[in-house]
Order: sequence, then C-alpha cells, then structure tokens
Amino acid sequence: MLSRFSWLTVFICFLVAAVLEVMILPAPLQPYRPEWLALVLIYWLLRHPEKVGMTCAVAFGLIMDVISGSAFGVHVLAYVITSYLILNMHHRLKMFPIIQQSVVIFILVATQLMMISLLGKMLVGTSSDLSYLWIALTSAVLWPLMLICIDRLSFALR
Amino acid sequence: MNIGSSDKALFVQGPYLLYRLILAVILSVLLLFVDTSFSVLDPVRRVVGSALTPVYWLSAVPENIAEGTSNLFRSRDSLEEELDKMQSQMLVLERKAQKLASVTAELNRLRELLNASRLLDEGVVVTELIGASPDPDNQYIQINKGLKDGVYLGQAVLDAHGLMGQVIEVNDFSSRVLLISDIRHAVPVQINRNGLRAIAYGIGAINYLVLGSVPATYDIKEGDLLVSSGLGGRFPEGYPVGRVSEISIEPGESYAHVKVVPEAQLNRSKLLLIVFKNEPAKMQEPKLSDPQSAVIKGDK
Repeated sequence: MLSRFSWLTVFICFLVAAVLEVMILPAPLQPYRPEWLALVLIYWLLRHPEKVGMTCAVAFGLIMDVISGSAFGVHVLAYVITSYLILNMHHRLKMFPIIQQSVVIFILVATQLMMISLLGKMLVGTSSDLSYLWIALTSAVLWPLMLICIDRLSFALR
Repeated sequence: MNIGSSDKALFVQGPYLLYRLILAVILSVLLLFVDTSFSVLDPVRRVVGSALTPVYWLSAVPENIAEGTSNLFRSRDSLEEELDKMQSQMLVLERKAQKLASVTAELNRLRELLNASRLLDEGVVVTELIGASPDPDNQYIQINKGLKDGVYLGQAVLDAHGLMGQVIEVNDFSSRVLLISDIRHAVPVQINRNGLRAIAYGIGAINYLVLGSVPATYDIKEGDLLVSSGLGGRFPEGYPVGRVSEISIEPGESYAHVKVVPEAQLNRSKLLLIVFKNEPAKMQEPKLSDPQSAVIKGDK
C-alpha cells in the first residue's frame, strides 16, 4: 500500500534525527526541542513492525545515551518500554485519524520522558519539574509533519 | 485486507513480544548497573562518540552556511566600522597586557621572596561549539577539539567572559564539556573583593548557580564577583565564575541562600577557550564518572 521497506531510508531518517538532536538551537527554543530520535523510531515501529522492532529500539536507545551523555541503559529502558506499547497497539494506532495519533504520541513521549527523568533523579539527583511535557507537546505537534515527510521520502527512495 | 498484514500480526504480537520486552528490560537494567558502578563501558562510549562525529559536523553545516551568506552580503562600511572598533578594542587590551606583564613579574618576585611557588601561566587553545545536549537535565556541550588535539580529561573551558565548565569525555575529534550549571558540577570559588572561599554548585538551571554553606554572617554582597580559587587543583586560579545576584537569609537558619549568575554566556557562546596547564604530563587522569568529587576533593 504505502511503500516497500528499505534500511537506507531508516538510516537516512536516523541520521537526520540525530543531527536535529544535537543541533544548536537559539537559546529560547532550547528547552522545547522535540524528541526526534524517538519520533523516528515510533514512525518505523508503526509502518514496518515486522522489520523494526525491539532490537532497533535498543540500538536507538544506546545511541541516544551517548548523544545525551546519560548512563548507558537509561534511554534504552525508556525506548523498549514505549516500543512494546506501540507494537502492542499498532493495528489500532494505524487506523486512528492523525489528530488522535498525535494525542497518543503526546502520551507516549511524555511517558518516555517521565521514565528518563525519574531514572535521572534516582541516578544523579537531577531535580527536573514537569517541563518535559513541553517537549512531548512539540513532538506531538510535529508528528503529522514528520509522518508526511518520511512517507514522501520512502516513496521517493522505493 | 490481505494475508500479509495478518502474518505481521502473528509475528510481532503475543507472548513472543513479551519475552523480547523482558529480555530488553533485563539488558538495559544490567547496562545501567554496569555503567553506573564500573567504568568498563567508557571505551564503548568513546567509540560510539567518535563514530557520531559526522553527525555533529553535519549539525553545524546550516549555521555555517547562514553565517557565510550573511558575511557575503555585508557592506563595506559596516566591515570597516567593525574593523575600527576592534582595532581600538585591541589597543585598550594591549595596554592592559603591557601592565599585566610587569605586574605578573613583580608578583612572582614577591612570591619568591616568600618562598611560595611561582604563578603558572596557562596556555589556551581556541575551540568551537559544535553541539548541545538535547536533554535539559544534562547540561553538556560538545566542542570540536579532541584526543588528536591533545585535549585531556578535566581541562577547564572558558568563553570570553568567564568559566564555562570542564572536559569530562574526550573522543578522537571532539570532546564533551560539563557546564558549571549542571547538577553534578561544583566549582571552588573565592570572592574577588576579600578572598573569602565558597563552593558554587550547579543546580540544573542555565541562568544561575548557588553557593553552598555560606554562613549568614559572611561578608558577601550582591554584585560581588566570584573567581575560581584554584583549590582542588582542577580549575586554574583567577578566572571569573559569576556575580552574586541575590542573597536571602531566613531568620533562624545558619546558612544564607546565595544565587550567582554565571559570567560566561553558557547557552550563547560559540567560540571557547580550552586551558592547557603548562605541565600536562603531571596531570593525573581523574575518574570519569564523578567529576564533582574530583573538584571538591582537597577543598575540605
């Protein structure tokens, strides 16, 4: 229906997401940077759950741990748990209208960030407030746009 | 509806998926335990970090292009104006440097009279910011000098206005710098006005630090400049760290709450300086995992 799966497209998406993760934003925008890598992972879990699964979630988590400088395992744990949730309900999630999908993305990203900030609190004693909800919000708002972009890209590279 | 999608369903759902989840969770908890207790995974981090260098390089490309085009379209007048400004600024700084040379020499002579050790002069290398931490809880920046340029763990990093942080991870072509505002960071400081010592802790907010254990009777005022004291052996002495912005003393409490605004522009500076001590051979490698304890050690 949509497009054939290719690892090249996954790699390009990963590269772009990683670049967007580390890119230096203007100071006022810095706290609202969406979780690009998580969004890309969610996209592939939804579109091709038979190819991109837990193993990819672990790999993405490890790379995110290196990028954000957290202890190995923090992002891995958060990513595999959200991946499990998505793989469990991807049939329903695919049928949702796009706004409803965005709401689910908001909840998923917020859950994931909550786990990461809780682990941070336990391991290093960071005292973060609920500001990660903004990140979840920007991620959810950008989800439809990202969906269209990656669909176009994989269509062009098919 | 086709048969292919029901095949998919069989593949990813059911107990099979649950087993994979359990396996992955066990793996990540194991990783967490190993990485927080031992340093065996540091080489892995370094390898992955070095492999990610192209990502950092790519992330700087749009900004470089924007800068290049804006430079292309600048008028001759504005460039000349800037040149004039810089030349006059340089003149002022050169005059200060002339005086500084004689003052340093005199200070060293006086210290020799007191049989104290000579003041060391530090060398600096200019470096550029190439990445920022995506996680507001982890306040790191990435710089474009690494093992290949002789960067080592624990080096102090400055911007034009003051102390930024210290190197905590060195990859082949880039390094990670922990900012002084990170929750795990502490820097020994002294008040420039009277030499009283304190420790400035990061609390995870980019715009201020707090001073720890300042007695309510301490001689400290709003607007006081804090400079690094050099105690603890990590940071060189005398670089500006911040300015006291707010002092609040709760009646009945023995310590004052002191807020300090960093002098360095922690989230704006692009060009940074790495400080090389003159005898890098003597620097012992500190433990990577806990920069804070290494900083405070020796200050108690």
